Amino acid sequence: MEYRNVLTTCPYCGTGCALYLQVLDGSVVGTLPVKGHPISEGALCIKGWNAHGFIHHADRLTKPLIREQGQFREAGWDEAYNLIADRFSSFKSDFGPDSLAVLSSAKCTNEENYLLQKFTRAFLGTNNVDHCARL
Amino acid sequence: MNRLEALRNAVGELLDKVEGVIALRNKSGHVAPHLFREREELNGLGLSPKYPLPATLRLIQNEYPEAKLGIVCRGCEERGLIEMAKRNQVELGNVTVIGLACTADEAEECRCAKPYPSVLVDAHVGERTEPVPDRVAEELRQKEVAERLSFWRSQFDKCIKCYACRNACPQCFCPECTLEEELWVERGRVPPPFPSFHLIRAMHTAGKCVGCRECELSCPAHIPMTALYALIRQEMGEMFGYEPGVDLEDQPPLVLPMEVEI
Amino acid sequence: MYEPKIIAYACTYCSYPGADLAGTSRIKYSPNVNIIRVLCSGRVSAELILRTFREGADGVLVLGCHFGDCHFINGNHRTAKRVPILQRILEFSGIEPERLRLEWISASEGERFAHVVDEFTDTVQQLPPMRQVLG
Repeated sequence: MEYRNVLTTCPYCGTGCALYLQVLDGSVVGTLPVKGHPISEGALCIKGWNAHGFIHHADRLTKPLIREQGQFREAGWDEAYNLIADRFSSFKSDFGPDSLAVLSSAKCTNEENYLLQKFTRAFLGTNNVDHCARL
Repeated sequence: MNRLEALRNAVGELLDKVEGVIALRNKSGHVAPHLFREREELNGLGLSPKYPLPATLRLIQNEYPEAKLGIVCRGCEERGLIEMAKRNQVELGNVTVIGLACTADEAEECRCAKPYPSVLVDAHVGERTEPVPDRVAEELRQKEVAERLSFWRSQFDKCIKCYACRNACPQCFCPECTLEEELWVERGRVPPPFPSFHLIRAMHTAGKCVGCRECELSCPAHIPMTALYALIRQEMGEMFGYEPGVDLEDQPPLVLPMEVEI
Repeated sequence: MYEPKIIAYACTYCSYPGADLAGTSRIKYSPNVNIIRVLCSGRVSAELILRTFREGADGVLVLGCHFGDCHFINGNHRTAKRVPILQRILEFSGIEPERLRLEWISASEGERFAHVVDEFTDTVQQLPPMRQVLG
């Protein structure tokens, strides 16, 4: 019997609201707002209140899936990354860097987003980089 | 001895008798509910801002219905526990309650009608302070119907339909919520069209709401909805002689048939 | 003077036959009322009443059996408690509580049905149209 609250930042958008994940015996069972926090001031939006929903969700993918002949099969991370690298390189050499585009996510931190645009511009060599929250 | 010291002693004593005590923990300036198991943890005991600890108790009792637990309760939390126990959401048989009286400032901020616990408590911490009248509710009562309409329309128009009021409420425990029912609250309309969302919630909290203000505190739009609930609470007191959170034996009027002579 | 739209929820065991009796007895009553038959007045939830208002009804009548006559023993007891609470909620949130009325009408009270409907129509007519209130 162990219950505690873990302070974290909401993964959904760039506002950076703080939230507590309620942890009961090692599994996340709920979300609480952080009262007196300078950014979210004790409030959360509907996404924040449900930020724990996906953590233990049965539909969550925990292993990379590679599609072969229309079927997905589970694969290791090394294999998946190698495949990504090979295909990116082949697209770049066959069709030019502007045949590639990168869409980043609001769930990433600033730093991760910076890295991704750096990767896109410096390594892939294209300016086709955008972000799902830039609506 | 200040309140925090006194509370620490009380929780420490209780820890010898129970498996864990639900109280607030202050970790690097952020306060959150916590289940204290060891005396060593008590250095991190916190006082405020308050969180709905009865909801935490319910969460833990769901997994450990037999566990002997302690809980630190303010006045509102005790009232909440009583209402939750009536509806079989918590089992008070194995629970020991440490009462924590609110300071005058806290009572003032919450416009609290009873800022101290007195019913379930086994140990008291803090000095009782005077009840504070709900001035927002009283102002509202003085207004004309049309003035109230424009007041609430301007408030409810701010709603972003985040369901924080429902999520934060320790009394809102239905597995299926009417507010998510397409028939009564249309999807995809923000703010929810008056009078559906807010008045449905007002109706559903009638006889349950104990005025803990958790809904209002967690509302990103700062809608003073507890003023409405307070007025309904007063009216229900007059109509049915029922006040939520006062007596474990009183049954909520909406679940009982009328006492009528036929 | 506008013609208010009034929805009457009538229970199928007492009030609906009561309305029927008013009809078969050729009693004249206000044509503004639209009757919806429900199994019991206890079935008329607050949500249903609120939605009726939101859809533009200017007044809502809830008609049930007298105490002791309820087919479901005490279904009307619930209505008897629910409606006054909802009236107070409406009042405090700025909707005239006169727009909602609860009446007990038995199967033999055709005349009473007509009287209640006429009187209620007069009351609601004095109030601004609901569409204006809900804007």
